[in-house]
Amino acid sequence: MNNERLKSITLGLVVVVGLGCVVLLVRWTDKLRPPVDTDVIDESLYLSDKTSRRISLAFNGLAADWYWMRSLQYVGKKIDNYEGDIRLDDLSNLNLKLLVPLLDTATTLDPEFIEPYEYAAVVLPAIDVQQAIRLTQKGINANPNAWRLYHHLGYIYWREGQYQLASETYARGAHVPGAPAWMEAMTAKLLSDGGSRSTAREIYTRMYDQSTDDQVKEMTRKHLMRLDSLDQRDGLQKVFAGYKTRTGKCPESWRELGPVLRAARIPMDQTGAPLDPSGAAYVLKAGACEVELDWRTTKVPLK
Amino acid sequence: MDEQLITLDAAEATTHYEKSKPGGYGSLRRMSAIARNTFREAVRDRVLYNLVLFVLLLTAASIFIGELSGGQERKVIVDLGLSTMLLFGMFIAIFVGVGLVYKEIERRTVYAVFSKPVGRGEFLVGKYLGLCLTLLVNVLVMGVGVSLALLYVSRGWDPLIPTIWPAVLLIYMELMLLTAIALLFSSFSSPALSALLTFLTFVIGHFSADLKTLAVSMGSTGARWFFTGLYYVLPNLSNYSFITPAAHGRTPATGFVLATAFYALVYITVILAAATLIFSRRNFK
Repeated sequence: MNNERLKSITLGLVVVVGLGCVVLLVRWTDKLRPPVDTDVIDESLYLSDKTSRRISLAFNGLAADWYWMRSLQYVGKKIDNYEGDIRLDDLSNLNLKLLVPLLDTATTLDPEFIEPYEYAAVVLPAIDVQQAIRLTQKGINANPNAWRLYHHLGYIYWREGQYQLASETYARGAHVPGAPAWMEAMTAKLLSDGGSRSTAREIYTRMYDQSTDDQVKEMTRKHLMRLDSLDQRDGLQKVFAGYKTRTGKCPESWRELGPVLRAARIPMDQTGAPLDPSGAAYVLKAGACEVELDWRTTKVPLK
Repeated sequence: MDEQLITLDAAEATTHYEKSKPGGYGSLRRMSAIARNTFREAVRDRVLYNLVLFVLLLTAASIFIGELSGGQERKVIVDLGLSTMLLFGMFIAIFVGVGLVYKEIERRTVYAVFSKPVGRGEFLVGKYLGLCLTLLVNVLVMGVGVSLALLYVSRGWDPLIPTIWPAVLLIYMELMLLTAIALLFSSFSSPALSALLTFLTFVIGHFSADLKTLAVSMGSTGARWFFTGLYYVLPNLSNYSFITPAAHGRTPATGFVLATAFYALVYITVILAAATLIFSRRNFK
């Protein structure tokens, strides 16, 4: 009995101590291993989208999810490794050469999976606009009743300055059963006022409302902040013009404009400087009647 | 210990057989006794332990997938849950299915059974129904697991919950077909070969649409007839794949489900009849 117990304790100890050793050995080998080649992350996919579809048998939905998550991880890793500020709709500096095949495969495996099309519509225009249009059109072909995809295709055309095409796309989307009334309104707005700030605000507001992706929401939120900031700066320019008319000179400090800014209900910090939509103080170019974002503190995109 | 339990099973089953009256009703009772024992044996063999792994997988997915999937956790939960249900069910159908008859022959318990008034067909069908019962418990528990995971990720009622059940039913039908096929192969070949053949049937069954396309594209009439024949003879398992649409909240039409159920019933009857035919001619001496 004692021998049996001793044997059990010894074996238990071997398991615990052995596992501890394994952990230490893994940490040691991790240090010895040469660093991973960063190009490996961009290694071409072994399987084409059509082959993946064939061999996935009944598991195509799960395979599509896997490719979708891999797309997000791929972009996420590139963003993490990038030094500098970057926006989701301008990832052209990241060399995302695998993104198109990854999204293509995900949507071939599950053509009804809307999110990869939407992601392509937001991310790809800055990288390869033709692929962005192709993938979004692929989504529309597979899901003709998904009005959100028409909205995204319209967005791509609008971004490219092709307001006529954008308007036509919104018009097609507006006829889809269940499409909201604002799709029809966008049709006319794009034709008459395609390049305006109010059109941009309308598009980004709708994208923000419709998207389920946090990254897309964040991107559109920043665009909306920028548009708000542009409106604010226009307002401040009017304040400067009024001040100059009254005094014949441009203000030297924000304090000189305090009463006017307070009357206009513009939020200000303790020094009297108006705040941009991200809560950072605007910078006044003294004596020049010009206002700028403070690039050191603001979270509003500078361009 | 296991050997004793099996002998006890056989004894219990034969007691049922002895009590059974001849005729259709007696036959049903004998098959039901074999089915119950097959189910108990599967439980004793810890076949249902896969449920623990399934629950762990879904729990982990429910907690972590939200961060990885870009807000698509509900779709991923349904895809993952139903795909795992099919995968685990397929493994059970294949690996338990091919051993159903083989184990009885290997352990010689089949002699005890056949020394009683039990037909070979009754034995096969009983075994088949027993494994189907095991799979039914398996898919039902897994279906409940997926529903609970959806409740968790949606923080309340999720409209996908009712839409997964028709897909679960179709998966179960597919597993019933696979079990019958595994039983057919195991009635004349070794377990390893039977498992391989059943797995290949599963793969080809999901390529049935390609077989039809291949047949059309063939130049020679003979090849066209051959591939058309294969398309009709091999089980059309792609009809039972409704996982992906279910993840988008779509349900199959009632007519489609009834047609596939009828197809499964006819196909299973044919397979079990063929298996009985082969098994009846086997010499156990």
